[in-house]
Amino acid sequence: MGVWFGLAIKNLLRRPTRSILTILGVTIAIAVLYSLLQFQVNYEKGLKKELGALGAHVMVVPKGCPYEAATIVLHGGKWPRYMDEAVLEKVKSVPGIAQTAGIIMDAILDFEKNENRIFMGIDEDYPKIRGNWHVQGSWFTGAKDEIILGENVAKLEGLKVGDTYYLKEKDCSFKVIGILAATHSQDDGFYFLHRKTLQKVFDLPEKLVVILVKLADIEQADKVVAKIRTMDGNLNVFPLSELLSTVGNLVQSTNIFVLAIVFIAIAISAVGVLNTILMAVYERTKEIGMMKAVGASRSDIFKLIWLETLVVCTTGGLFGVGLALAFAKVIESFVRSALPYASRSEALIGLSLSDSLACVLFSVVLGLIAGWYPACHAASVKPMEAIRTE
Amino acid sequence: MSVILQAEKLCRYYRRGSETVKALQELDLTLHKGQIISIVGRSGSGKTTLLNQVGCLDTPTSGRLIIAGTDVTALKEKELEHFRRNHIGFIFQLFYLIPTINVLENVELPLVFARRHNRQKVLEVLELVGLAGKEKLLPKQLSGGDMQRVAIARALINNPKILLADEPTGRLEKEEKAPIMDLFQQLTKEGLAIIIATHDLAQARYGERILELKDGRIIAEHSPETIVRLRG
Ligand SMILES: Nc1ncnc2c1ncn2[C@@H]1O[C@H](COP(=O)(O)OP(=O)(O)OP(=O)(O)O)[C@@H](O)[C@H]1O
Ligand SMILES: [Mg+2]
Repeated sequence: MGVWFGLAIKNLLRRPTRSILTILGVTIAIAVLYSLLQFQVNYEKGLKKELGALGAHVMVVPKGCPYEAATIVLHGGKWPRYMDEAVLEKVKSVPGIAQTAGIIMDAILDFEKNENRIFMGIDEDYPKIRGNWHVQGSWFTGAKDEIILGENVAKLEGLKVGDTYYLKEKDCSFKVIGILAATHSQDDGFYFLHRKTLQKVFDLPEKLVVILVKLADIEQADKVVAKIRTMDGNLNVFPLSELLSTVGNLVQSTNIFVLAIVFIAIAISAVGVLNTILMAVYERTKEIGMMKAVGASRSDIFKLIWLETLVVCTTGGLFGVGLALAFAKVIESFVRSALPYASRSEALIGLSLSDSLACVLFSVVLGLIAGWYPACHAASVKPMEAIRTE
Repeated sequence: MSVILQAEKLCRYYRRGSETVKALQELDLTLHKGQIISIVGRSGSGKTTLLNQVGCLDTPTSGRLIIAGTDVTALKEKELEHFRRNHIGFIFQLFYLIPTINVLENVELPLVFARRHNRQKVLEVLELVGLAGKEKLLPKQLSGGDMQRVAIARALINNPKILLADEPTGRLEKEEKAPIMDLFQQLTKEGLAIIIATHDLAQARYGERILELKDGRIIAEHSPETIVRLRG
């Protein structure tokens, strides 16, 4: 076997540039395939993790696009529709609810600097829903100028407990009374004000953007959701499990599109392989004729050419996985800029043995298919005719 | 002397469009062990066709061919491959060495296809053809004569009974030709039978018999001592 392998590799090295370009084609196609496979798994994993970290089972938002609402809740932002605070009391009264948290949010967007400051108006209910909240310093005391900063925000602004934060756009000064210990969630990037304070500063009196609901019994979700829905027709009430599946569907439909592109890339690379190997066969027709004359059988020649194709494709497959991993960060930032809901807590493209194996296996199959015709062609070379033509 | 190859009324017609090219017509030939037969004739007279036929690279249109007691015209492709591997060695005008592998590996190639391994035999054959010490060189580092020696070694590696050489000296320098022909002569001492197709009457003289082909037929037999020019 070693001899055959050596022959195949040496044959490919006769035209190094051509062989390298062909391998490169496979490399790129497989890199895209690997990225997509990884993305598919990790995207959903990240989403689930974030939704889990949210601590809520049901989300209540004003009527509007639920996907948009989900983005706002997960990543923060400006939400153009509000509901009255009174809704919160009504929701609270629904039986089967363990905890609620009414939230008001606003953002100051600086497009020039591409900097978004997201302000979240909360009360003591919010940490109860979120769970792992530990504020260094103190909680809101009721004064109108208090702010709690997320871990990353505090670092970014260079502020410590006791410092003053000046919000230029609203000409307001705040005292930093607490810094939220890292939660490894989007909370780390938020500016927290007391709900009342935010409503006043951003001029949104008695308004809410979202109500998070934690159920006493998750099995009762349908009942509770139905009850809240009948209570107020202007609300969008959806269980997060449902959100997960709708977002999942959305992602699935974009994936099919991306998958189509991946397969085009793969088809192009397969044609490239076929072309390269076929040319190599044509160039070596006489040599193949000679090999048959000195004792090579049809299957020997078939094997030799097939092996060459396999070497090209498998090398491309291995490099492809490597390329995807090497450029994971670049691909990731591109994907994030193009797709909503991409979780930050989970790497989109990571090292996965099973996906690597699947990709390499796929490239082997690609080689088997692309090599079929050239190998058949080579195997059927008639030694006499091959040697005769001069 | 024992007969190693016998051809009876061997015909090979090619179709070229609507016409039929009779490249070989009712050719009878007997080759003995240890004998060299030279085939001469102008271009297109059928020399290569004849070698392809007796070398089992191609099946005749009609006629019978018996090699080492086996009627090869009755063999199937798979059997023919096997038979050829064990009985026939080929040498071509253009050597057809694989440029990317060294002398030793080129000579070893038929063993690879035969699923045999015998490094000792490779070294022996290289010694026999006068290439000892050049095992590691690549074909492009060799002179034409040495390249043909590699091809001869490759043809000999499976212990063939018959060696078929098509213009073996056609691409060699003048001074390289005679040593190659001497090598052929030396090989017959072990009982190897050789058929050499050539344009070159000087080389043809190495043959015990010299047969002249024209239009696929033997039109004359010359003797090594008297041949000065072709009749056809
Ligand atoms: N595969 C083929 N198809 C059609 N015609 C062929 C084929 N092989 C040989 N011929 C024809 O058969 C005749 C004999 O050809 P062949 O190659 O045997 O001649 P040759 O004596 O070897 O010539 P040269 O000295 O040029 O090598 C020629 O007319 C040639 O054109
Ligand atoms: Mg010829």
